Amino acid sequence: MTPNGAIALVIVVVLAAMMARISGLVALYLFTALFAVIEVGPHAAVALRRAVILMLPLAAFMILVWVGVVGRAPADIAASQPGSRMNALIYVSIVCARLFLIVAIVQIAAMRFATLTPLQFIQALRAPVALKRLGVLTLSLVETLLQAVDRAHTALIASGVITRRISARNLFHGWVLVQTVWLTAITSVTGRMRDKWPMEHTLQLLDPLLAETHAAPLATPDKLWIFSAAVIAVGIVWGDFHGVP
Amino acid sequence: MLTTPRLIAIALCAALNFAVGSIVYLIKLPLYLDSIGTILCALLIYPDRRAAFVCSFLAAMISTVITTLFINPFLIWFSATELALALVAAYFIADAEAIFRARPLPMLRFGTRVVLYGILTGVVSAVVSAPVVAYVFGGVTGSGSAFLVAFFLKAGQHLMAAVLHSGFTAEPIDKTLQVLFAALLFRATPKDFIEMVRARPQPAPT
Repeated sequence: MTPNGAIALVIVVVLAAMMARISGLVALYLFTALFAVIEVGPHAAVALRRAVILMLPLAAFMILVWVGVVGRAPADIAASQPGSRMNALIYVSIVCARLFLIVAIVQIAAMRFATLTPLQFIQALRAPVALKRLGVLTLSLVETLLQAVDRAHTALIASGVITRRISARNLFHGWVLVQTVWLTAITSVTGRMRDKWPMEHTLQLLDPLLAETHAAPLATPDKLWIFSAAVIAVGIVWGDFHGVP
Repeated sequence: MLTTPRLIAIALCAALNFAVGSIVYLIKLPLYLDSIGTILCALLIYPDRRAAFVCSFLAAMISTVITTLFINPFLIWFSATELALALVAAYFIADAEAIFRARPLPMLRFGTRVVLYGILTGVVSAVVSAPVVAYVFGGVTGSGSAFLVAFFLKAGQHLMAAVLHSGFTAEPIDKTLQVLFAALLFRATPKDFIEMVRARPQPAPT
């Protein structure tokens, strides 16, 4: 599977999930399971664990708001009926099932390329060079920003503006930390753009690397997966028109 | 349009959106603060409005995609709101860039512009987001503002009305804070970085 194929597949599955009712969700879960087993293998468990970690707090929050506070499903509210907490729970379960599927397919697709470095992934993409360059620069700045956070944090603790542990002072001066991180990062990148990169010809070396891609836009397995997902999506739309639950 | 300094500015602003927005989302405040970088990007690139719009929208979309992947799976559905925010930032808020950088700080004009643009951005954002919140997510999006929707629903309002009222209550406050923070960061940004970002690409020698 190619990176372009994975992105296209995720888009089709996500759109289908948003339209799906219960039967459609079941079909998409089966499809996603098949995709995980064939394309990712045992590593799919790691992707699923990540999806659960992302979804659990969200599900708890939705249950708190809908079942705990509101106590009715949106359909009950729209029909001006008293409703019940059970209806609210069913509603939350369907929304959470849909969101979990979306999170899971994204994580599984990402896991498919876990062996590639982010630079290799971007290099293999069929996309305009400016976008690929933006991706590479963003990745390179992540490390710069982490260092900026570290430096600013240490300097502000040393000067007594903020503290290492949770405190009211941190709440009031948190904004100073944001400003300091911003300025530290700006200073670093200005130095790089003005001195380091021109001296080392970084950008001249980067552009040909990003421009040359040997990968086809979509490989045969990509087309098969995307076609299968599209068939399910069409089935979901058809079911929607014909009142399939 | 996408020179290297502008690509750097986009990446930095996207990181700012992601960092502040994620913290606020995780502690469930009825605010978002996830577009400070979008507004700041438009301010940094301003005189070229088209570039300001494109770059601030790119910054918003990068942070939206990263946040959707790692923190908040709801966020990608609000791409239209990001588009509207980038438009307002490039075509309205950026007009005040001279006031935001004026020294000494013209307190009254600074404050007036921040509040005015905050309310404008908040109203636009609330109107564009409401159909997504109501029809796609049934009112609950995982952010702290869901408590406000719940409050208005309990008060007997219908879903769309509750979502709109929640938006009109929280968004102007949230966006005023975002414009204020973006203006303060813009004010603190070194002049030479802004000049690098605003410089137009040189034509290739013939």
